Amino acid sequence: MRQRYALRVNGETRETEAEPHESLLDVLRENLRLTGSKKGCNEAECGSCTVLLNGRPVVSCLVLVPDAVGRDIVTIEALAGDGTPHPVQRQMVEQGGVQCGYCTPGMIMSAYALLQENPHPTDEEIRFAISGNICRCTGYGKIVKAVRAAAEEVGRAAS
Amino acid sequence: MSEDTSPETTGAYHWIGKNVTKPDALEKALGATEYVGDMVVPGMLHAKILWAGAPHGVIRNIDTKDAARVPGVAAVLTASDVPGTNRYGLAVPDQRALADDKVRSAGDALALVAAEDEEAAEEAVAKIKVDLEPLRPILTYEDALDPMAPAIHEGGNVFQHTTVRKGDLEKGIEESDVIVENAYHTHRMDHVPMEPEAGLAYVDPSGVLNILVGTQYPYRDRRQIAPALDLAMNKVRVIQAPIGGGFGRKDDITAEIHVGLLALKTRRPVRLVYTREESLIANTKRHPMAMNFRTGARKDGLLTFLDGDIYGDTGAGVSLGAYVIKKAGIHATGPYDVPNIRVDTYTLYTNNLVSGAMRGFGVMQAAVAHESQMDQLAHRLGMSPLEFRIKNCLKPGLASSTGQLMNEGCGIEATLQRIKDYMSAHDLRFNRPHA
Repeated sequence: MRQRYALRVNGETRETEAEPHESLLDVLRENLRLTGSKKGCNEAECGSCTVLLNGRPVVSCLVLVPDAVGRDIVTIEALAGDGTPHPVQRQMVEQGGVQCGYCTPGMIMSAYALLQENPHPTDEEIRFAISGNICRCTGYGKIVKAVRAAAEEVGRAAS
Repeated sequence: MSEDTSPETTGAYHWIGKNVTKPDALEKALGATEYVGDMVVPGMLHAKILWAGAPHGVIRNIDTKDAARVPGVAAVLTASDVPGTNRYGLAVPDQRALADDKVRSAGDALALVAAEDEEAAEEAVAKIKVDLEPLRPILTYEDALDPMAPAIHEGGNVFQHTTVRKGDLEKGIEESDVIVENAYHTHRMDHVPMEPEAGLAYVDPSGVLNILVGTQYPYRDRRQIAPALDLAMNKVRVIQAPIGGGFGRKDDITAEIHVGLLALKTRRPVRLVYTREESLIANTKRHPMAMNFRTGARKDGLLTFLDGDIYGDTGAGVSLGAYVIKKAGIHATGPYDVPNIRVDTYTLYTNNLVSGAMRGFGVMQAAVAHESQMDQLAHRLGMSPLEFRIKNCLKPGLASSTGQLMNEGCGIEATLQRIKDYMSAHDLRFNRPHA
């Protein structure tokens, strides 16, 4: 049975109607038209639907809508909310970490979550943080380089 | 003195050595790029496909009555609803938009549903009843080569036989001090582009069928869509949508004809988005190949001959298989100078999933065989596998298996030399001892 849900998405409360068994991904994409989160597999294998739930990266295809109620949801659309791309987004562009782009939003959310928690990650920590995000184009090297460059940029801005 | 117009002077090499950002990278990093599965247009219907799920059989009947009664369903279509030839294919039109006489692979589409939402479309698909009379499935190379096996298409299961001949094979065998003979099998492989197949079609007020699709080749798509749906070429417009990875997969028709047909029949926009599971069971894969190779060399390390057969499983449709498998034969000697060659390739129809273009286009399958042969020959000769390759690789002035003369653009020797220098500088050795 369809029910009403109030979700806190990107700092705003959004009211929507959904079946309790619907995924957060489907509600974000279909109801709220936040299509930056992609559906690559719908079974938690590919990471292209990654969003933050209370600051932690999750695959939104495996989160049921009722479980997202009362939590802070952050999607790719919020990262450049003020019109300025986040350093991870800009470095993904500049270091050639973006090709077909389909894994990119999820990849960026995983990297963003890492830098929030660990502003000076090692390459190994970067690789671990994006290990749940599959990319078929780049071979990951340039993505790791982009996250490293973004970390340096964030570090410089903070000091 | 004439003016210097070399590329170095005129600035034609302006971009070489510089980092250039992709024009569409920022919108992708922002999550703003709309792939077809992200697009919504007013009045849009959602499509679902009933897949065959069985490899080979005669279609006796497809009953869509119950499916059509599901609330929200706008159309349930089978092959008899297709106005045109119902055929497509990159090399030959041997694939059906919707299976008509027979099921030829588990990935054949049997029926299409368009409904107000995906749930209604799924419910309708589940209510379609199919009466299928099973036929002997042709699943292996041996099945396909069996003269008693049922023909999947008119004309039998061997679609194409190609040959590569060079020098004098018997002389090459006689001159050999070492001969290695092995059978190699490579597996079927999915491209797994991160974006599953999707298409969105609508008929515009001037009567043109517009199809948005993440495709590698809009004009070749159009040449296949128009006859299948009995439309004039200028009544079909294929619009290249952002493509979330292709790797050869989206060279072929994917969602185009299905969404196009549904839009024509319903006169409403229709969107079809595959699930990952559907993407895995349908459309093209990398060709599995069976390769029997016999290769010889002399004591001094020079290659003498290759005697080989390559069998490629192109599945229930040729797609680009005839070119992929022929290419595996042409490249069977790899980047090496082999004076005496006999290679035969066979493009075989089976009831497996259709194989088509994938990165490397047949050359990678051949490399599994020729590089393994090179390692084993080097081992038998007590030579370093690297020295053995440097000795035999193609160099300017030498000719390929098909007689193409190498020029200064042939860089394999320099590449191998760089590897040798690097290994020497870093004191790296091969895992397996030689000599």
